[in-house]
Amino acid sequence: MSSNAEVRPGQRTPFSRYRHSLWLLTQRDLRVRYSTSLLGYFWSILDPLVMAGIYWFVFTQVFQRTVGNEPYIVFLLAALLPWMWFNGAISDCTRAFLREAKLIRSTRIPRTIWVNRLVLSKGIEFLAAIPVLIIFAIIYRAQINADAIFFPLAILIQAVLTAGVGLIVAPLVVFFRDLERAVKLILRFLFYASPIIYGTSDLPENLQFWAAFNPLSGIFSLYRAAFFPDELDWFVVGVSAVMSLLFLGIGLLVFSRTERAVLKEI
Amino acid sequence: MTDTVISLADVGIRFRRNRRSRRSLKDLFSGSRRRSRSGEFWALRKVSFTVQRGEAIGVVGRNGQGKSTLLKLVTGVVLPDEGTVDVIEGVAPLIEITGGFVDDLTVRDNVYLTAGLHGMTRKQVDARFDDIIDFAEIADFIDTPYKHLSSGMKVRIAFAVISRLEEPIILVDEVLAVGDKAFREKCYRRIEELLAGGRTLFFVSHNERDLRRFCARGLYLDKGALVLDGPINDVLDRYNAQYGIKPA
Repeated sequence: MSSNAEVRPGQRTPFSRYRHSLWLLTQRDLRVRYSTSLLGYFWSILDPLVMAGIYWFVFTQVFQRTVGNEPYIVFLLAALLPWMWFNGAISDCTRAFLREAKLIRSTRIPRTIWVNRLVLSKGIEFLAAIPVLIIFAIIYRAQINADAIFFPLAILIQAVLTAGVGLIVAPLVVFFRDLERAVKLILRFLFYASPIIYGTSDLPENLQFWAAFNPLSGIFSLYRAAFFPDELDWFVVGVSAVMSLLFLGIGLLVFSRTERAVLKEI
Repeated sequence: MTDTVISLADVGIRFRRNRRSRRSLKDLFSGSRRRSRSGEFWALRKVSFTVQRGEAIGVVGRNGQGKSTLLKLVTGVVLPDEGTVDVIEGVAPLIEITGGFVDDLTVRDNVYLTAGLHGMTRKQVDARFDDIIDFAEIADFIDTPYKHLSSGMKVRIAFAVISRLEEPIILVDEVLAVGDKAFREKCYRRIEELLAGGRTLFFVSHNERDLRRFCARGLYLDKGALVLDGPINDVLDRYNAQYGIKPA
């Protein structure tokens, strides 16, 4: 009945157990989303589509646009889709502990998993939305070039950055509840402060240097390089990579310092 | 190889007295006089004991004396502020057992999810799936979303999953107070079976009969301190003497 001979859960390596749990939680998120509505996949791409539609209309039909590149919808989506990943993961991170409080109180998986699973599931949604970008690129005959091989690098840097920021935000919200609203505001500001509806090169000369310190600048320019090789600026990308690692370092530090108190609080 | 599976050394943990009143950024910026600094208290302090493999230990104490906190420390879901907690074997915590279950998923998905989060592989769950469902007596509801189960069924399936984890240490926190009599008896028999299989049991309860039934050794917690560590009968006698409850 209860033989101890076989491999017990505790005997798996911590790393494989972490990976296993991470995958289970991500699967759960996706399954919940897609089993509760037939339109699951459609919903996840609808948001960026509507946003892209609005900006495309405002900036190509209403105003005479001087920023960005042609075709603008592809230029827009190449940064908007990854922005959705960042934005979605960070705003979900504000509730990372509170929403799963019961589960956190009953299992002892390493706690960073509650942030990382959000980064992963939003990342998978991002990957699932990439066909949208490809379809628009085909429709508008955007030329794809060799820089597309940097796409995975951009994904990697963004994953590091998102996890880092998430690790800072998630525990702090437990202590300061109104931080949740502050984060929403900051994200909205960041949307306009990052090269999404424009490119870094559209900024005034004296701002361009400082814009590089927004790690999203380099990440988005790396994504865009696949269609617009002029967007690629290795200085900006380099700063992004360093900043992202810095955020991850700070995030891990904040997280490990506050973990004890977070567990008591939830 | 040592047979000590759990050891606590001078463990202490403190909580804020007023846990529900959350701070906000607003407080941070308001003057220090207006900031309500809530006091802290030690829920447990200077608790030291060791547990050998195969022991069955009952934790006794009045409400709010740190029993559940002790269990959580052993599970590893809260961390001590001082001292060390060493648990060298895997733990199956029957604490907040329904915590991992998701309303929108079916019972089947939930079983795989919860068992998986506690470290089981898919194959291991496959092998035990029928046992789990049999034990919980909900064969007709395998593909029903969890939210449509009755509260009794929810606890039954949760107990069935956690008690099948095949972990060498089991922690039980008064979960058995729920469920009908027949199921409760079944849970007890399952625990006895596990004990016979050489598991280590950590049991928190207010029910003296249950404590005497399972446990050989007792820990008596009072005001955050470990007052007595001895045979369960001595511990219960002391507890009763102190709080004026006639022995059953």
